[in-house]
Amino acid sequence: MDEEALCKLVHDVNSKCASLTSAAALLKGASEAERAEFLKLMRDQARSLFETLENARR
Amino acid sequence: MAKLSILLVEDNPLAQKVMQTELKGHAVDAAANPAAAAANMRKKRYDLVFLDLDLGAKDALAGLRLIAPAAAAGAYTVIMSGHDDEEIVSRAYELGCHDFYSKGSETESVAQVLTRFDRHRALPEEEQVFTNRFITQDTPTRTAISEALKFAASDLPILILGPSGTGKTMLARVLHERSGREGAFIAVNCAAYQEDLLEAELFGYRKGAFTGADGSRSGRLLEADGGTLFLDEIGSMSLAMQTKLLKAIEEKVFYPLGSDKPEGSSFRVISATLEDLPALVRAGKLRFDFFQRIHGLTVTLRPLRERPDDVLPLLAHFMRAGGRRVTFADDAKARLRAHAWPGNVRELKRLVELLAAGAEGMVTAATLGRYLGEARAKAPVAEEDPALTESQYRKAVAQGLSAAVDAMEDAAIARCLAENGGKKTKALKTLKISTRLLYESLARRGKEG
Repeated sequence: MDEEALCKLVHDVNSKCASLTSAAALLKGASEAERAEFLKLMRDQARSLFETLENARR
Repeated sequence: MAKLSILLVEDNPLAQKVMQTELKGHAVDAAANPAAAAANMRKKRYDLVFLDLDLGAKDALAGLRLIAPAAAAGAYTVIMSGHDDEEIVSRAYELGCHDFYSKGSETESVAQVLTRFDRHRALPEEEQVFTNRFITQDTPTRTAISEALKFAASDLPILILGPSGTGKTMLARVLHERSGREGAFIAVNCAAYQEDLLEAELFGYRKGAFTGADGSRSGRLLEADGGTLFLDEIGSMSLAMQTKLLKAIEEKVFYPLGSDKPEGSSFRVISATLEDLPALVRAGKLRFDFFQRIHGLTVTLRPLRERPDDVLPLLAHFMRAGGRRVTFADDAKARLRAHAWPGNVRELKRLVELLAAGAEGMVTAATLGRYLGEARAKAPVAEEDPALTESQYRKAVAQGLSAAVDAMEDAAIARCLAENGGKKTKALKTLKISTRLLYESLARRGKEG
């Protein structure tokens, strides 16, 4: 992996984790419906993060 | 807090949901791309715009381009990032953003941003400039900027004087934002181009106008139509170019290179220089009528070393802007205040970047020394460098070193002659030059020889 690709990977991981961290902090005060929506979006984000890491590994 | 009108520009669905939850109770419109955001801003006036800098992988700077229109529309503009690229954050502030929100931060919350917005809104309009754009407590600098702000909405040309790194471009941009002009802010560094290239850059050209002109291009004058043309390092412009530009400014009409069809453009001129323009007029390097045309109001920005009380507030501002926390021991603060800052505010910004990347814990005078040295090396050569000023260096690059040295000799000789009633013997003695050099200079200026 070259320097540019590595920088992009770090950037993508940081960005995606930042949203996950913020969303996790909001789960406690969320209503049932909101929590379900958050969890769905968090799962999508986690999947996207997983794909990013898989692509980097190949 | 009253219900605010907020535009949220964010393409990540989870990040968008997080922000909408944090901003509950306010009227939030969300846009997932720059085009949708621009359309929203055209339709509605927002109190705040939260702007993700990272709008898709294709164009890393798409978010940056939305800052100027948002700030110009009067919105408190907040950039958001989950990672801190110092260069991009710094650029965002130059473009007029007001605040920075670090996504995923445990120490920073959206509520804190809203509190800062509330404080900002409570300030008189002029004070807002001194809180977000020009951090200064220096009375002469504040007076000069306040004076310029009074004329922001007029057509009066403004000349900004000051050494490199004192914020001349920033002031020009603030004046444009407060001018109410709908056109763009177009900045041109006159010293960065050779004469023919500067002409093409300013006036544009038609296909075949010169070797290499494979297509037509509109010039910066046309791009500035209805807006502001900012001419940096105006003192480096040749007499021939001054003549052409003067005509375009006065008649609001010009001819692109290779074209006999006139183009119309009405723009306000703001210029900047670190040179002594009256001396250039005396030396025959600057047309008097051109000088008259560009200096309706003159604003002088003082170097940072002359306003040491601004150093620590500026440092705190740049640290906060990048979401950084570094603490300074008393001896480090004293050293910062006593530093000469040859690269001015630009050098201080470099220092913040270096400290943010490398400093840990409390910064002392001893650890600060290394960072100050590196920041100095990274900042451009400044006016105070006794051997080579920024302007001289740029001229040497643009005109070639010999021509630049000739120009400096001519200026020094002309000034010395003017100060000594035109007495050549006095000039020879004062400047310690040969008779031959004096007459060569006079010949170049067409005075004799």
